[in-house]
Amino acid sequence: MERLREKGAGNPLKCVQCGACTSACMVNLLEEGFNPRRIVGSIARFNRLPDQNPWVCSTCSLCTDRCPQGVDPFSIIMALRAVLYENGGNAPSRVLEMVEQVKETGFALPVSPESSSRRRLLRLPEARLSEEGLREVRRILSEEGFK
Amino acid sequence: MSLTLYLGCVIRAAHPEVEKAVKETLSRLSVSFEEPLEASCCAPSWFFSLSRQAWLRLNERNMRFFKNTVVTACDDCFASLSDAFRVLAGKKGFKPPEVRPFQALLLERLREVKPRLGFTGLRCAVQHSCHFLRPLGRGLDNPEDPRMVKSVLEALGFLPVAYEGELDCCGGLLSEEKVSGMMASRKAGSAEKAGADCIVTTCSHCMVRLRSVSRIPVLHLAQLSAFSLGSELGQIGFPESLARRTVKH
Repeated sequence: MERLREKGAGNPLKCVQCGACTSACMVNLLEEGFNPRRIVGSIARFNRLPDQNPWVCSTCSLCTDRCPQGVDPFSIIMALRAVLYENGGNAPSRVLEMVEQVKETGFALPVSPESSSRRRLLRLPEARLSEEGLREVRRILSEEGFK
Repeated sequence: MSLTLYLGCVIRAAHPEVEKAVKETLSRLSVSFEEPLEASCCAPSWFFSLSRQAWLRLNERNMRFFKNTVVTACDDCFASLSDAFRVLAGKKGFKPPEVRPFQALLLERLREVKPRLGFTGLRCAVQHSCHFLRPLGRGLDNPEDPRMVKSVLEALGFLPVAYEGELDCCGGLLSEEKVSGMMASRKAGSAEKAGADCIVTTCSHCMVRLRSVSRIPVLHLAQLSAFSLGSELGQIGFPESLARRTVKH
């Protein structure tokens, strides 16, 4: 619980398991295995990391808006991702690729050669950080554990 | 007053026509702006959820390049920058700039300038992005009945159409492809069924996700505003099929 708090998790102990979060959750409607009420319950009642994949969350935050208790399930799910990642769990490859790209270029997506030539045609500035700027971004990421 | 225009990764890397449309719109509404070319990715929710500290530090660095009020062209950037600056504002000596989404600035300028419009008449289904509306504390629009993008469209002479599931998430930031695809298809199908000519959004992730499944064009709001204000179709990626459906003034 403390580690989740450090990573910005809201107030799991305020949860009364009413299920407003889950009934608002669009993902739950399509994928019953993902259940915000159970995620918060597992943490608040059993102090146990839930066995659900927090990366299935669409990050819409509707659970947080609907919660009558101010639990903020969205922040708990985000913190859960961070804790599981620190524990050696895998993040989705799409996400890890974007981190690699930020390390490589400072941006989450590469500018393709096609896009680059369209930018020139449209007289848009080159989308590239200076060497110095890039070094600074890489240093921040390296110090925060993205080797 | 000059503004700082922050475009984010998706638009800069993959959608130069949207970038052009944003800049055309601002110029045609006499808004002067500068670009912080040394600013990096704003590390939104996917990154934030791996390392809150990396997210904060990257945006603390970005803040150095933001001289004025920041205008974002993507709602995910808007959410990431506003949230990070709110946290950083608590640190001694930090005075983060205000962050405004493109649609808020556009609505304000359209009301002030009242420009002559070139075209009107398209029926537009709005994809209200989650990160612009929620959580509730953002306070820029009513998450239960959002009006801002619709008001911009109306001011531009377009017709917003209601459709089933209008407030649902499109699944654009969901890493699980099957569920994400289902969410996006439901929305795109519903917008088409309601008779919309196009889907309009202010979030680059919603735009990319919905474009991958929609049979009707999915545009960034800036493409509609630039078109209506007289920009050249090819420059701003505005489909000719849509232009033919509009009424020329």
